[in-house]
Amino acid sequence: MALALTRTTRPWVIGRGYALLLLFPCAYLAVFFLWPLTRVVLRSVLDPKPGLGTYAKVLFTGPYLQILFYTLEVAALVTAVCLLVGYPVAAITARMRGWPLRIMTALIVGSLWMSAVIRSYAWMILFQRFGVVNQMLIALGFTDEPVRILQTMTAVTIGMVHILLPFMLLPLIATMRRIDPNLLRAGRILGANPVRLFLRVYLPLSLPGVQAGTMLVFITALGFFITPSLLGGGRTMMAAMLIEQEVDIFLDWPTACAVATVLLLFTLVLYFIYTRLARADVARSLR
Amino acid sequence: MTAGTLGGRIAGATLITLLVIFLIAPLLVVVLMSFTDQLYLAFPPTELVLRWYRALLDDPRWLQAGWNSIVIGTMTAALSMLLGTMSALAVTRSGRAWIQPIGSLIVAPMMLPHVIIAIGLYPTMLDLGLNSTYAAVIIGHAVVATPLVFTTVTAALRGYDPALELAAMTLGANGWRSFRYVTLPMIGSGLAVGGIFAFAVSFDELMLALFLANPRTETLPRLLWEHLSQTITPVIAAVATMVLLFTSLLLSAAVLLRRPDAEDPAT
Repeated sequence: MALALTRTTRPWVIGRGYALLLLFPCAYLAVFFLWPLTRVVLRSVLDPKPGLGTYAKVLFTGPYLQILFYTLEVAALVTAVCLLVGYPVAAITARMRGWPLRIMTALIVGSLWMSAVIRSYAWMILFQRFGVVNQMLIALGFTDEPVRILQTMTAVTIGMVHILLPFMLLPLIATMRRIDPNLLRAGRILGANPVRLFLRVYLPLSLPGVQAGTMLVFITALGFFITPSLLGGGRTMMAAMLIEQEVDIFLDWPTACAVATVLLLFTLVLYFIYTRLARADVARSLR
Repeated sequence: MTAGTLGGRIAGATLITLLVIFLIAPLLVVVLMSFTDQLYLAFPPTELVLRWYRALLDDPRWLQAGWNSIVIGTMTAALSMLLGTMSALAVTRSGRAWIQPIGSLIVAPMMLPHVIIAIGLYPTMLDLGLNSTYAAVIIGHAVVATPLVFTTVTAALRGYDPALELAAMTLGANGWRSFRYVTLPMIGSGLAVGGIFAFAVSFDELMLALFLANPRTETLPRLLWEHLSQTITPVIAAVATMVLLFTSLLLSAAVLLRRPDAEDPAT
């Protein structure tokens, strides 16, 4: 504001001074966010010698490419399970009123904030050789002796779904609550059977929520570290675990940086698509 | 939807019940295990005792890590509140077009895998001579916590008419006074909720702490992590229970702060 007062020749514009507030946040992000990311990318092409040697190694030798594909596979599986479980749950929750809705919201939002380390630990206890799940399986007669659940993809998937389900549920519920029940009523009056009503009316109207939830879960799942490490053991390696291991155990920074750059690119592209979809959704609702 | 039939209702209720069990049961098991009298995690425990809580209180390392987590969380919340409010004010109140994309930059750290930020920050902190200090962990945590303050404060700023600030300035208040007496009271609860979220993010952050802290500045998630890769003794369950309790209290505080201006709980 002081700036606006000293330069009386230019007309005073509301909010001119506000731009100055960005100086500190932008400087902070430049030093502690953009520069560190840049340096990861730079190191992947400059170290140990300039060129794409590290990328050639990551893409054509060793287990790296396989681990990257596995990461995509786990993320896709987790997203699919979240959508399959989340869609009906969200549809039911979206119709709730009063205290049931409030409890469901508290539960979903609350679980978003519970420690990921602790929740993965909880599944470790449940999935132990003589843990609750195995005891239940034996009691129900599915198996005679304990099966190994820990260190399998099943364990990782269940643990990740437990953490990521709220990211699917919240956008779904928000979209489904905006669906006008009169449209469904109109469809019914016009003679649509429940299946047709769902496919032609409800599903298309809920798609923005499906898009948002799917993208959000998939993007977040790509960078998962805690759950696959604890529940997958060394057997199921995801990209984030690979990066940590390259640095922590092998001290191979160039490889870690190359894998990180690939992961970064993936995430950025998906994030860009996600914001585009979100903007298109807003534009559509304004029309 | 159309599920008005009895069968549909029963199926729906069953599904919701299963979901509630799926979300809550694992946490209840952890709480129950923290009271076990066994040395290992046999379920269910034969007798409930406070033995592991005593072991926890006798171990200076857990206490130090708990204290570190609270100090780092508080400082992270303070720094994020400053960064988040400044950027939210600029993005929502400045009419300039080039400022809008900066909003996406500010929330970007929330979407990126923390491991990438961590391996970039580690050498940066080394260059700055900050490695293993509290400052390194706080600065790193603030990068990933600021987006939450930014989003809550932006929502609060969009929730009222900017003409109020204009009125204050017309009446002779300078930028700071109009912020202090008009803007701050209006965004106060949003800012506080953002601060609590920032604290919660820091309190549960593992990756940055793994790279930026040392045994002296280690946080609870880091120490939990270290123990988990060796054994899963009931002491961890006791720590986990305390952490869950603390997080629940924080969340309740956030909910109470938000209540006045929240009409629809689902939005």
